[in-house]
Amino acid sequence: MESRGLDFVVLNQGFVSVNGRVLEHEAEGNALLSELYRGHIGDWPKFFKMDTLSKAGFVATELLLKEIGEPRCGSEEFIRSRAIVLFGSTASLCADRNYQETIQDKDNYYPSPALFVYTLPNIVTGEIAIRNHWRGESSFYVLETPDVEQMAFHLACAFQDNDTESILAGWVDSTMNDDFQAFMTVIRKEDVADVDRLAAQLQLIINDLNN
Amino acid sequence: MARVIRCIADNVVSPLGTTSRANYDKVRAGESGLARYESMGNISTPFVLSRVDRAVIDGLCAELGIQGNYTFFEKFLLCSSVQAVRDAGIDASSDRVLFIISTTKGNVSLLGQPQEGVADERVLLAKAAREVMQFYGNPGKPIVVCNACISGVCAQIEAMRALRSGRYDYAVVIGADEQSPFIISGFLSFKAISDEPCRPFDKDRKGLNLGECAATVVLEASDNKKSGWELVCGAIRNDANHISGPSRTGEGSYLCLMEVLKECRRSELAFVNVHGTATAYNDEMESIALYRAGLIDVPVTGLKGYYGHTMGAAGIMESILSMYAVRDNTVLATRGYSEQGTTYPVSVSGKTRECKGSEFIKLLSGFGGSNAALLYRFVE
Amino acid sequence: MEELILKLKQEIIEVLNLEDVKPEDIDNDAPLFGEGLGLDSIDALELIVLMEKNYGIKLQDPAKGKEIFKSINVMADFIQKNRTR
Repeated sequence: MESRGLDFVVLNQGFVSVNGRVLEHEAEGNALLSELYRGHIGDWPKFFKMDTLSKAGFVATELLLKEIGEPRCGSEEFIRSRAIVLFGSTASLCADRNYQETIQDKDNYYPSPALFVYTLPNIVTGEIAIRNHWRGESSFYVLETPDVEQMAFHLACAFQDNDTESILAGWVDSTMNDDFQAFMTVIRKEDVADVDRLAAQLQLIINDLNN
Repeated sequence: MARVIRCIADNVVSPLGTTSRANYDKVRAGESGLARYESMGNISTPFVLSRVDRAVIDGLCAELGIQGNYTFFEKFLLCSSVQAVRDAGIDASSDRVLFIISTTKGNVSLLGQPQEGVADERVLLAKAAREVMQFYGNPGKPIVVCNACISGVCAQIEAMRALRSGRYDYAVVIGADEQSPFIISGFLSFKAISDEPCRPFDKDRKGLNLGECAATVVLEASDNKKSGWELVCGAIRNDANHISGPSRTGEGSYLCLMEVLKECRRSELAFVNVHGTATAYNDEMESIALYRAGLIDVPVTGLKGYYGHTMGAAGIMESILSMYAVRDNTVLATRGYSEQGTTYPVSVSGKTRECKGSEFIKLLSGFGGSNAALLYRFVE
Repeated sequence: MEELILKLKQEIIEVLNLEDVKPEDIDNDAPLFGEGLGLDSIDALELIVLMEKNYGIKLQDPAKGKEIFKSINVMADFIQKNRTR
């Protein structure tokens, strides 16, 4: 296996791999997320309440942390030093559409609070923070495309925070319930010393996602 | 030495006016943009909202030379930023100018009501941001901060960092949200909206009001100290508690306050401009965070009684009005407040107060457990 | 009443996405919130929508939900007495 420096997980509606190792699965689409949850996670029933964007981000993160072997909560110092910085292009569009359906028709107008709350893309960062008790920075940025130079630049910027020592970084997109793409990795301060190199590493991960 | 980040121009477009000065003067005089609506679209529950007159925005666009098939949201971003960019006197088509947009829902109203001549993809936030950047001929890649209600503070923090990195010389930070039935129905489903003008921190507060605003700051990076408003530092922290309910200990807001206080000269701190949405939980949470951070005696002020919750614009507009207030030695009245309604008695008042000092803190919190604060300082 | 209770349990499981819970797992007298099902404030709001959508009961004050959502029995009883559809 090619060494890529960063640990990473890539996930879409029909494919999942951890550090380049393909995980076998049966289901596709949203059902794949449930299969991965039941097979690899299983102790967080709130998972089933999440929208597709959050499920994809959550599952990718869980698989990544398992691979790295990071203990769940860590010290008080650690949980304040771990930031979450996620990017995406469609943001909460999938949840937006689902919520819009509950308000579109005057005769069937029942706005759903459980759907509405997910019409903010940063909820996925909150779900991950809650699961892991991370109290560092959490941010969601919307870009036009998964541009690795742009992501690397803003990730490097995030280390200007005094407390941030490492970042859970990734890309999450979902336009429909059965359609999603995500990658997740952990970046440390030394990884942003050379932003061009970081961008190149992110590109390798994205290539894996697009395979 | 780290580059100094200064705010060199600003603008606020709201129901109260189309410049920062006009807005400040109205707020200082106690005027509010809040009005009661009995219904809107499919919504039949009454609510209070601060809504911009569409004709005013169209008139302003014509005056400022903003032509093209834009959505209301895009026009809103443009008519605020065009004024600020003009006042800053910068060349916004330069690749040394970074654009950052702050919004929660952008063009989401297109989902329910498509607009002729506007491509469906403009519902994507970065596509709407691209429209704005194309207006200026800016060659950069769009970036939109979408961190719920704290976006406006986050966008300023990100601009500060990008400028400190040396890659850019200026940042145009624009925040706006359109209050469509999408957002209003959602907050109604949360039973979070009051059908009366909101009463931040008051014991009888009944919930929030939503509002429309577009606001812009133009930030400049320089290697030397100059007179003006300096964006000193900022912090973003998560409660790691719940996706919609604020932390009972105010953890994230407390951590943000402690971080910005490291750079703050306490004797110079004029006030803290809080989120103060007037929901039971938010204001209580903020009072706990302020108490824990040792800020119980520092004047606290909230602007939601004038504007409602303006979402993507809130962090920017509330920072701008705070700048004007500090220069006016004034703690703006927290409109709607009359009696203490939080466990910890923060220094909030329904009346305008005098203050001294050259610094203020802007504090926000929002869905997703997110919290943010920043510190501005006026340098003589 | 038995029929309403079973229907209500199925509806709650569906709208609150209680994936691994079956109707017989929910005790008729056990509190819905706090321990047990692990429901939170958003679930409470969603139950208010359920009451309006399926039974035509409008609940403006969310604080009232606390009383009504005490248990399945209390909720079913309230629906029985107040339903308009």
